[in-house]
Order: sequence, then structure tokens, then C-alpha cells
Amino acid sequence: MIGPLGRAALLLGVLACGFGIVTVVAGIRAHDQRLLRTAARYAWMALAGAVAAFGLMQYALVTREFSLAYVQQVGSTSTPSLYNVTAIWSALEGSILLWVLVLALCTVAVAVRFRRRLGDELVGWALVVMFAVGLFFFGLSFGPANPFAAGAPGVTDGPGPNPLLQNHILVVFHPPILYLGYVGLTVPFAFAIAALITGRVGEGWLLETRRWAVAAWGFLTLGIILGGWWSYEVLGWSGVWAWDPVENASLLPWLTGTAYIHSVLVQERRGMLRVWNLSLLVATFSLTILGTFLTRSGVINSVHAFSEGSVGPWLLAFFAVIVVVSVGLIGWRGDRLRAPGVIDSPLSREGAFLANNLLFALFAFVVLLGTVFPLIVEAVQDRQIVVGEPFFDRLSVPLGLTMLFLMAVAPVLPWRKASTELLRQRLFWPAWCGVVAVAVPVAFGASGFASPLAFFLGGFAGGAALRQVVLATRRQRWRGLVGRANGGMIVHLGVIIIAVALAASNSYTRSQELILEQGQVARFGGHTFEFVGFEQTIDARSSSVKAGIRLDGGQVYEPSLHTFTRFGQNIGTPSVRTGLVKDIYLTLEPPVQVDGTTARIKVFIKPMILWMWIGAGMMAVGTVLALFPGRRRRPTDPVSAPLSEAVAARG
Amino acid sequence: MTAIRRTNQRLKGWSGWMLLVIALVGVVSVSTARDRGPQTQQERIESIAARLACPTCDGESVEVSRAPAAVAIRNEIARQVATGLSSDDQIIASIEQSYGGQVLLVPRADGLDALVWVLPVTAAVLALASLAVAFRRWRRQSDAYPEPTDADRELVAEALVRRRHGEGDGGDGT
Amino acid sequence: MAALGVGVVIVALLWILVQAEPGDSTSADSPLLGRPAPAVLSTTTDDQPFDLGRRKGSWVLLNFFNSTCVPCVREHPELVEFHARQVGSPDPVELYTVIWDDREASVEAWFEVNGGDWPRVRDPDGAVGVAFGVARVPESWIIDPNGFVRLRILGEVTADFLDERLLGLRTPS
Repeated sequence: MIGPLGRAALLLGVLACGFGIVTVVAGIRAHDQRLLRTAARYAWMALAGAVAAFGLMQYALVTREFSLAYVQQVGSTSTPSLYNVTAIWSALEGSILLWVLVLALCTVAVAVRFRRRLGDELVGWALVVMFAVGLFFFGLSFGPANPFAAGAPGVTDGPGPNPLLQNHILVVFHPPILYLGYVGLTVPFAFAIAALITGRVGEGWLLETRRWAVAAWGFLTLGIILGGWWSYEVLGWSGVWAWDPVENASLLPWLTGTAYIHSVLVQERRGMLRVWNLSLLVATFSLTILGTFLTRSGVINSVHAFSEGSVGPWLLAFFAVIVVVSVGLIGWRGDRLRAPGVIDSPLSREGAFLANNLLFALFAFVVLLGTVFPLIVEAVQDRQIVVGEPFFDRLSVPLGLTMLFLMAVAPVLPWRKASTELLRQRLFWPAWCGVVAVAVPVAFGASGFASPLAFFLGGFAGGAALRQVVLATRRQRWRGLVGRANGGMIVHLGVIIIAVALAASNSYTRSQELILEQGQVARFGGHTFEFVGFEQTIDARSSSVKAGIRLDGGQVYEPSLHTFTRFGQNIGTPSVRTGLVKDIYLTLEPPVQVDGTTARIKVFIKPMILWMWIGAGMMAVGTVLALFPGRRRRPTDPVSAPLSEAVAARG
Repeated sequence: MTAIRRTNQRLKGWSGWMLLVIALVGVVSVSTARDRGPQTQQERIESIAARLACPTCDGESVEVSRAPAAVAIRNEIARQVATGLSSDDQIIASIEQSYGGQVLLVPRADGLDALVWVLPVTAAVLALASLAVAFRRWRRQSDAYPEPTDADRELVAEALVRRRHGEGDGGDGT
Repeated sequence: MAALGVGVVIVALLWILVQAEPGDSTSADSPLLGRPAPAVLSTTTDDQPFDLGRRKGSWVLLNFFNSTCVPCVREHPELVEFHARQVGSPDPVELYTVIWDDREASVEAWFEVNGGDWPRVRDPDGAVGVAFGVARVPESWIIDPNGFVRLRILGEVTADFLDERLLGLRTPS
């Protein structure tokens, strides 16, 4: 019963999107305002279909409806309810349902937000694009990735979601937030395509979608950071980022997206870099599709898996269509995209943003190359290679350091032209902040070259950002913290804190494996560890062993090992003592003799990890502040111009 | 107030900046000289394991992965490190002998694999070069603009006044 | 111009991805093929020494096994059959099972219940597995009487498959 109902809901979505496209295009052609206004109806229909399909699948999971193949795959009688509910997005078909739901929500949001301008061609074409993307994903869910397919008969239980997705509450937040980011980026993309089609490639579409872009980017950033947190808390290798293909797939659109939200400032102010902005936005959206393809089609495991999968070819085809259409449109409108002005001097804010674009594009290129290179080699020479962390680390360090440098210099650069005199003036104290920021760790024993350089540049950039915030608050009091530029500086501060914390923890982590006898105290890195004893719990889905380790004679921390009976997989859960200066990270290593008196543990002493989460919080706060309306100033006014009364009143 | 400002200005002169550069170079040299590499056996094992790929994972390193094959390889590394006889590269070569090239996490610098290093560097060089070329072209273009006349300045002033008192903000701009 | 460049790159990427063909997953590559087998040392579960370097004179089938791995479990009766065929053969193949990432007690219990009276080799640290480059089970290796590695088989085997391969390897070509 649920199966056919679910499919019907998906079919509703498909038809709604299809009719939406037809209606809007017809309305635009015939200049029929009334027809265009009915487009909103189709958006609501699509949303109804998505909500119904998602709700039905959730219902099937909660009631353990094992007649459905998907529930057989990810459902289980022994999974706790919370993880059973989140199991919906633990595998391909269900995660496409989530995508479809968020996409339908975004489409309705666009229809509602622009309800008074539905007669406008620009909005119309944007809706067409959103419906087209919706049509693809609804179609994918209705056809090749059908979650409501009937499963093998007579099955009364399933293995449940992957054990890694069953033991931390983050699984509730990470996928939805990440998808809000991915799917949210569809909206600016839709407006960009609409702008190209209608020929209105000025700044109008940019201003309309500015907040959408920043909000979607914010969610994507938060999603990626939550992924890092999950890696740290759950995976037990004590790291935050492993450069694995799934992580890279989420980083790629973030890189081009970040370049985009910076580069639009130049277009707003001087009408330049139009092709860059369109290309970055197209790249961002198509990279979300490519990323989904790379992770969901199994291509990265093996090129061979691709031809056996069902979803892969569709995603790849969609990616190809998007790129071809977008690039074609940009080429067609090339003449209109020519900028009215030029960048007079490299030492200017426009110059800095252009350099920023190139830097981020280069970074994205490196990440993409590293991720798909094994596929290229396998296709050309038929052998397996792996491109892993060392490659990405080695290349991302110089890129990251250059970005920090740009972050330090760019905020003080004026538009059009700057003199070295001006830079000397404005960058002096920030540069000394940098020197202090590196002198202190080195005084405490820090070594190496890249990390101290990162500390210097981080301090430098932090000083520059603080300088902007101080100047803005001095001029406008609390309003100095609000608005795009100021919120942006706070986001920068968050990024800098994360960068410095990453540099510190990557370079100065100490680790040791300790074999502890019960009651024996071992010493490492200035701390003592005492093994207290084992504790075993067995339940229907797993058996777990906890080792009690008394840290510094005080609290007992319990790293554990779980064996999930249905998967035969060992999952280690670390136990962490978080501190302002460093984290002490403990893992229990197999093999474990539960009735024995020896525990084999690994200790990691990781500096500054907490600051990564503090920096992330700052980024979130800064993004929210940036979304607030700031000082309303027309782009053509000089930065120091006083607000006119009318504008100030409008606030 | 002005005394502070004057001292501030003087500090920001070339001498102030020279002092800054000297301090920075000094501090970074101290830290670079201190670099010691892995300090415990465990850290050496991890640094070697970080260069090997788990054969059954999607590019996870042996250091990170908990797959049985990765654990077995880590044990082998630990065994070899404990004997103290082989260098890092020798240990990696011995494991490559059993598993083949697929276990190397860092692509070699020869043959097709070298592309993965060469392409980013080439792209960076191209990016810098195109930036330099573009800036030079724009500098020439902007130098070729005549100086604004008084009539131009009046035009702009009028337009700004109209805008400030007019309706709407940021239209299409076309 | 840039659009053309981007287009070329995208087309190349698509072409590569579309080219992919499913591969042959029975006999597999290894840097050890045609080389002397790694000189692994261990003990069997009967507490007899196991020294691969010393085995000369007969063909050896080395099978890596884990009692919770579904394909291993599936191929077990075939191995029993294969072992039975060696009895009375003029040039019997010696069969060994290496315990891969499993507890000895589990494997012994398994063999108790499901038969198989050839030696099981202990490998608590996985050293034997690493020496052969074993990533997944089941995996089987055929080593010739001179101690050279001749064949690596990934995945399940059948008794007939093994017979056929051995015939091919024994007959000099």
C-alpha cells in the first residue's frame, strides 16, 4: 500500500514540475501574466508530492514496513527509533528523497518571495530552471532510484543503517544541513540562467539572490564543518579532514561558492567580472551534481562500479547537460557581459577579488584533479592508484597560506587604486599582530616552517579583520557589526581561527600507543593514564566493550569498541577530554580480551581543536550578521559618504 | 591626542616595518631550526602509515582506516619500525612489494602519475601569467582614457543628486 | 575561448567515465606472481610449525578464510570436495587455510561443524596476509613445487575451477 502511494506522490512531483515548465514557458511566450501567476500552484503541488513521499517513507521506516526494498536495506527492528528515523538518508534512494524535499521547499520559497513579480520574465525563467532541476530529481526518484520498490518477499528484519550512522546524534543534522546548502545554491543558479536567457545580465538578478546565496553558502559551510566534527568524534582516527572523495565532493562547490560570494561585490560596485560570476555560479551548481555523481555512483571505488550502477549515468548526463547549456548561454550572451570598466591597478580591491577568484579556482582544480585522477589513470592504463592525503596536504598548504595573506591585505584595500603608502599605514598594526601571533607559540616551543608562517599570516589577517570591525563600530556603534561587510569580517575571523587551529593540530599532535595493565599508571606528554577496567554491554544490535581510563588521577574516560552483530564490523568510539589549549583523545585498540587485565590504548594530544569549533561558531554568527540589512548605501556612493536621511530611515 | 598620532605615524615609517620584518624572520628561523620530525615510535609508525593507502577503502590511509587489511599493515609497519633496521622508504617499498602500486598514497613522480603534480603547478603558473598580462592590458587601457573634463564632472554630480532623491535602488543596470 | 577549453575538459572527463568496462574478477594481478612466495613463518592450530619457505615438492593451495565472510562460507564445501579429490591422486595438492582477521576458536568451531581436515594456519597480527597483499577474503593462492607463486584468485572458488587451473599450470606450455 505504501509503495504505490509513495510512487504516486513522486509522480505528482514529476507532473507538477513538468506542467510548471510548460505553463511558465507558454506564459512567457504569450506574455500572459495570468498564466505566469499560476506557476506558483505547480510549485505547491510539487511540494505536496515531495512531503508526501518523504512522509510515507518515514512512516514505512517507523512502522518497519519490510515489504519495501529500501526498508529491508536500512531498516531494522533493533535500531533505536532516532536512528531509524534518520536511516532515511543513510543510503542513496532516501537521500534523493531528502534532496527532492528541500528542492521543492526552495521552489515554493522562490514562488512566495517573488509572488508579486511572477509576471516578470526573469522570475519566470528562474522558476523554469527550478522546475527543470526538480523534474530531474523527481524523475530520478520515480525511476532509477525508486525508494518504494517492493523488496524480496518474506523478509521480517533488516541490518539497519551502517553502524557508523547509528552511534552519534550528528546524523540528525549533518545531511539535512548539507542539503540545505547544496540545494539552496540552485536558486542563485536558476536566476543566473534566467538572466542569461532574458539578456538582463546586469546586477538585478545578483541583488535579488544575494541573500539566498549567502544563506545557502552558510548552510553548506556549517554542513562541511559538522562533517569534520563527526569525523573527529566518531571515526576514531583523531583527525578532522581526510580528503576522501565524499569530503572533496562537498568541498568543491564550497570553494567556487566562496569565490562567488566575494566576486559579486565587484560586479555590484563596478559591473565587472560578470563572466567570472556567472562561471563561478554555474561551476558551483554543476559541482554539486558532479559531487553527487562521484559519491553515489560508486565510480570512486572502482570505475567498474559505474557501469553496473543505475543512477550514475543519469547524474553524469544531467551534469553534462547543465554544463553544456550554461556554457552555451554564457557564450551566446558574451557581448552583453563585457564590463563597462577595467581594473586599473592590481593593488585595489577589485584586483584582490580577482586574485581571490583565481586562487579559489586553482584550489578547486587541485581538489577535483586529485579526486578524479585515479579514474583517469585506470581508464588510460588500467591500473589502480590512490591519490590521498599527502597530495592534497602538500598542495593545499601553499594555497591556504596565500589565501590568509589575501585575507590580511584585501580588507584595507580601497576600490580603484591604492598606494604603497596607504598599505604601509593600514597594515602596520595588523602585521605586528601577526608577529606576536607567531612569537608566542615559538616561545613556547613550536617548531617547523609552514605552521609558524600560518600563525603569522593568521595573526596578520585577524588584525586586519579586527581593524575593520573596530573602525566600523567606532563609526556606527552596534550597526558596525551588522551587514555584509561587517558580518563578513566576523566570518573571516572565524575562518582565521579555524586555519590557525588546523595548522596547530596538524603539526603539533603527539601520539603514543600505551599497553596498560590494570591499576598501572603510564605517563605520556605530561599526563598520566591509569587503566581501571573493562565494562561490557551486549544488546540485540551490538556488543560493546568500554575501557575505563583515569586521566591525570581524576575523571575516568571510556573509549570503546562496538561490534555490530549484523555487520561484523568493529567501530571504535573515542573518548575525548576537551580543553581550551588541547584535547586529549583516547581510543581503544583491538584485539580486546574482556576478561583480561590489559588494555591497548592510543593517546593523541591534539592542540587547539576546540578553537576549530569556536571558529565555526564565529563563522555561523558572522553569516547571520551578514544577512542583516546593513548600512543601506547605494553601490555607487563612496564608502565614506554620509547616509542620506531617506536611506537611513529605511534602515 | 596628536602626540600619540605623531608617534603612531613615525612608527609606521620604514624603520618600523624593517623591525617587523627582522622580528618575523628571526622567529621563523628559530622555529624552522627546531624541526625534529617524529619523536616517538608511534609517531614514526603513523607517519609511515599516512603514506600508505588502505587497499579496501576509498583512498583512506592506513593510518586512518580501521579495516582489517589496514590494521594488519599497521602491525607490519610496527614490527619493522621496532626492529629499527629499515628506513621509512624501505618499509613502504616492502609493503608495496606485496600489495602493488595501489597501496601508495602519494603518487609517484614518474610516468602518467606525474601529471597529478605537474598540472596544478602549470595551472598556477598560467593563472599568474594571465593575471599579469590582464593587468598590463588594463593599465594601458586605463592610461589611454582622457582626463575627465568639467562637463563630465557636472554630469556625474547631477546623476548622483538625482539618484539620492529618486526612487528605487540598484535596478538592472543594463 | 575559455568556454572551449572547459568544454574540451568536460568532454574528455565524460569520455573516460563512459569508457569504463566491468573487469574480470577471477584471476587477479599481483607483484608476487612468478616470484618466490614470501617466506612466511607461523604455526598451525595443531601447534605444528608452518614454514612456507620449506615447502618444496608439491603444489600448495593457500586459502585465506574468515568464518563470518559470506563468500568464504559459500566456497567451503568446494574446498572440502577439492581436498577429497587429492586423496589417491599421484601428485596431491597441499591445502592450507590461513585464519584472516578472525578468532582461532571461531574458525576451529566452524571446521568442526562443517568439515575440512587440512591444517589451519594462525595469523594473529595479519603478517601472512600482509606478506601476500591480501585485502579481502576469500582469496586463494597457488604456489608451485619450487616455491614460486603461480596464481592469485580473488573471491570464491569451486573444486572444478581449481582443477582446471591446476591442469593448466602443471602442463608446461
